[in-house]
Amino acid sequence: MPPEPPDSDRPNPWGAGESGAAGPTSPRTVVTAEGDKAAAAEQFNCPNCGGSIEIKAAGYTVTVACQYCGSTLDVTDPDVRIIQRYEEEVRKLDLPLGSRGKLRGIEWEVIGYMRRSENGTYPWDEYLLFNPYYGYRFLDTDGRGWTLGRQLTEMPAKNGLLGFTVDGEFYEPFYAQTRNQVDFVLGEFYWQVQVGEEALTADYVRPGKMLSWESSKHETEWTLGELLEPNEVPDAFGVEPLTGGGLPLPHQPSPYKKQSGQMMKIAGLAAAAIILFAIMFGGTSDPETTRVNLATNGVEQSAKIGPIELTRPRQAVTVSARAPGIDNAWIDLAYTLTDRDTGDVYEASNVVEHYSGYDAEGNWTEGSRSSSSKFSMVPAGTYDLTVDAAGSQWLEGQYAATRNAVVEVSIARGATFYSNIILALIVVFVPAIWVWIRHLSFESRRKSDSDFAGDDDDDD
Amino acid sequence: MAKSENCPNCGAEVVFRSSGLPAVICDYCHSTVKRIGEALEKIGEVAALPFDVSPIQRGTTGKYDGRNFEVIGRIRLGYEQGSWNDWLCLFSDMTHGWLSESDGQFQMVIEQPLESSHSDLVQRIAAGGDAVPGDRTEIDGQPYFVADARWARCISAEGELPFAATTGWSVYNVDFRNPAGLSANVEREEGEPPGFYMGRYVSLAELEPRYLREIQGWARPEYAA
Amino acid sequence: MSRGIMIFAAWCLLVTSGFAYASFAGYSPFADGQRASGARGPGGVFIGRGGPRHK
Repeated sequence: MPPEPPDSDRPNPWGAGESGAAGPTSPRTVVTAEGDKAAAAEQFNCPNCGGSIEIKAAGYTVTVACQYCGSTLDVTDPDVRIIQRYEEEVRKLDLPLGSRGKLRGIEWEVIGYMRRSENGTYPWDEYLLFNPYYGYRFLDTDGRGWTLGRQLTEMPAKNGLLGFTVDGEFYEPFYAQTRNQVDFVLGEFYWQVQVGEEALTADYVRPGKMLSWESSKHETEWTLGELLEPNEVPDAFGVEPLTGGGLPLPHQPSPYKKQSGQMMKIAGLAAAAIILFAIMFGGTSDPETTRVNLATNGVEQSAKIGPIELTRPRQAVTVSARAPGIDNAWIDLAYTLTDRDTGDVYEASNVVEHYSGYDAEGNWTEGSRSSSSKFSMVPAGTYDLTVDAAGSQWLEGQYAATRNAVVEVSIARGATFYSNIILALIVVFVPAIWVWIRHLSFESRRKSDSDFAGDDDDDD
Repeated sequence: MAKSENCPNCGAEVVFRSSGLPAVICDYCHSTVKRIGEALEKIGEVAALPFDVSPIQRGTTGKYDGRNFEVIGRIRLGYEQGSWNDWLCLFSDMTHGWLSESDGQFQMVIEQPLESSHSDLVQRIAAGGDAVPGDRTEIDGQPYFVADARWARCISAEGELPFAATTGWSVYNVDFRNPAGLSANVEREEGEPPGFYMGRYVSLAELEPRYLREIQGWARPEYAA
Repeated sequence: MSRGIMIFAAWCLLVTSGFAYASFAGYSPFADGQRASGARGPGGVFIGRGGPRHK
């Protein structure tokens, strides 16, 4: 191990003499309070530039970065001394030091500000908030959203290979360990802060929350951040909303997730209702059957079923045909449904057919020996069904008349229109699936910045 | 029962509430006064407390695990990078605990017999060994991790105390944390038996505190309304 | 519940009730049978739908 460099800059709160730290110091005084309330601040003049500085978290604050000259000052001792001297134009902050705002029911004062980055890239702002009755919070932004963080007192428990659990909630890894540094600092802090100070961070996320691990040479801390709604910080501190843009934040909840889930639920309910209605109103009843003998030749044969009473104002009618004995043959069928009273005619045509053979790929069969035709919205009345059938055979590459073919035709009231069910289900599910696809696409964009991309198990 | 006496240094009134708390810091002359038998003796003195904005003060009351307590004393400890308050809480059954306040976070710990830890690490620290943040041990079947290990010095103290604190008195303190929010700590100092404390992190709100310190410019928090 | 969800729920209700009515009245846009354009006697004209299609 290399020998430690002499740490002459390190302040010594235990009085002069032992430390090599020199330079001007400045005494602190308590800002007097009114009535019997305790004072809220201490005041001193910056030993570098002379500017008047108030310490808002007296007793906790260890380091102050002068808001006028940027010098870092040590305030652990009654006499304030300089750690790092600066003479710079101090930048204007989005949330000025000393401004107060109420976030989620608690009033906070902005007392510190840090600009941090990974060696100049991926910069972010970190504000330190204080309320003597609630302690500290961190308010972070990289321009896309505000995250309110609180340092954890419990140690997150490792869960699985890379994740962690806090309060029973699982956090998946997002950013692997990265080194970052403090680029700029202003205001007061309860730990020693200096420009250039480095720390290692790693981040774990779940929708709306981020668990951050941070390790510096002094300590290791866990912070749990909650993503605030875009209007919360502007409403609380009276600042402009962030313009945002770019990829979603690592812990940004998918705006489509809830909607997609709700839509899937509604679509599921609708699908259940559709199937229920299909069962209730679908199906056939009271079949009547006739047989048509096509034994002799290819000539058209006719048969009749009737009378058929249809009692409901409108209904479907199913006519089905079956020819179990045919092979390499087809039977063309024409159905005519005639209303005895009005003479109105409903027509349909169908076929039953069956072919088989043998080729290079083996045995094949084709066609169906049964078929059904459905009539839609037939009005009430007394009907006759006329069946016209003609059989043909394909034998040794030639057409021929069917031999011994019998077709059985039956007519029944009602029908189940599978096409209706499918159409209704499509129409109900397509919007839900569309939103779900948008959810997946949001999630994939969100994860594209992760060091653990490709690990895309859903978190529900 | 509470016993009123006079400071052997300045004659001001000092109060001893429990035989378990033989020391008191005189509010007027900052002398550390110890009761030895029937006699009072000035052991040393402490520096004036530096100003802070802690919401706790002597007289603050609250409830911890169903027991009422009152804050009756504190020790302020400092190290190179900061400082913290250990507030002495006297429970209604006359036992005491420490409400430790650091960086705006609170933990309540109560002293336990050192042997009860059944932890080699705790024994080793008590015997003079050092701990490194991240070290793991098991206490009562629960995992604990060293969060912080450092030498600290007493900056100041006030009120009643179980021992006679004086400014400059130094202590080696190791804090343990746990996934469930429990905490433990071990303290070792020159010439005193080591102390072992267990408890948990608490929010001020869950202590249902009354008589919090009123701080200029800050509204009284809802939890103490 | 958001506006989008309300609209979607209304849409599903519409589709479901439309389906229920269609099922009740035996309506389908894909039915085989159609009303003939004029009255005519038995004996339709075959369109010659059958015949082997293999290969």
